[in-house]
Amino acid sequence: MFQGFPEIKEALISNRMQAGFLVAPMAIALRSQGVPIKIVYLGHRYGSAAVVRKDGPIRTPDDLKGRTIAIPNRFSDERLMTDLVLRKHGLSEKDVHMVEMAPPDVASALAANAIDMFTMGEPYPSQAEMGGFGRILFFAKEYWPDYMSCVLVVRQDVIDRRPAAVQLLVDGIARSGMWLDEGRPHREYAAEFVGRYYFRQPPALLRWALTKPLDRVMYSPLTPLKKDFDMVNDLMVNAGLIPRKLAFEDYVDASFAEGTQGLSPWIFNPGDSIAH
Amino acid sequence: MANQKTILRIVLAWIVTVTGLHLWLNFDWASFLNDFRPEAERRLNVAYIPVT
Repeated sequence: MFQGFPEIKEALISNRMQAGFLVAPMAIALRSQGVPIKIVYLGHRYGSAAVVRKDGPIRTPDDLKGRTIAIPNRFSDERLMTDLVLRKHGLSEKDVHMVEMAPPDVASALAANAIDMFTMGEPYPSQAEMGGFGRILFFAKEYWPDYMSCVLVVRQDVIDRRPAAVQLLVDGIARSGMWLDEGRPHREYAAEFVGRYYFRQPPALLRWALTKPLDRVMYSPLTPLKKDFDMVNDLMVNAGLIPRKLAFEDYVDASFAEGTQGLSPWIFNPGDSIAH
Repeated sequence: MANQKTILRIVLAWIVTVTGLHLWLNFDWASFLNDFRPEAERRLNVAYIPVT
């Protein structure tokens, strides 16, 4: 487990990690710089939101002029989404003060009045809501239908030499996603064991993020689609993150997603020691 | 002289105990041994952060 996307990027480049979840624009930017990686699958759909202080003066995005906004990274979907929302409300990034902040720090920064808003993936919007000091200004999907953020990236040498291992990984993510999207009981159970054994976060926080409402984060469909990445690519060019648009095939290998066709959700109930 | 030997034994025993406990409790043997497996059997290391 890492604490920031730049560290994952370095671990992938150095081959300490052979695969990893990165924000999509960072993966595209790395590919544009010639790093031999490919996006093979999505991590989720939706799951990001803009949060302001509950009792603060910001009631709509029109009120953001001159405010300080925290984002996880300049190469993140959250930054592109914030840029998109600002432009839809007649503002631009020049009208706000945008700061990069590690995801675990944003809720406390908002509570301490160090920032006016943060745009971040779950469970940090939930953390601010649960803490009683944060209010959702907008969910990403309100402005960006089919929003995606984290993508599964794999080193090209692993794709070439161990395609079966990559397919096994993608199949597991696909089946886990289908299992999560089967309903509330599975999400509540996932919040328990993921919070305790993987994320080291309070299960109640993850329960909030996964169930309020149930489609706050979705785990299907996770196939990387050209139309979604075209949008990210265009926003990246507009924001000056890459010099020109990349061809979809240059940074996505959709063959593993195609290999998940026909799979069914895991069969995994509370008390089971293994999923089938 | 006898005192010095006793102290040395205690220090060595302490170092061996702490090192042993560290290797038992903190060291990721599965990850360490994974690097020595044939490539086809090696587990992929997958990086993530606790955020969607």
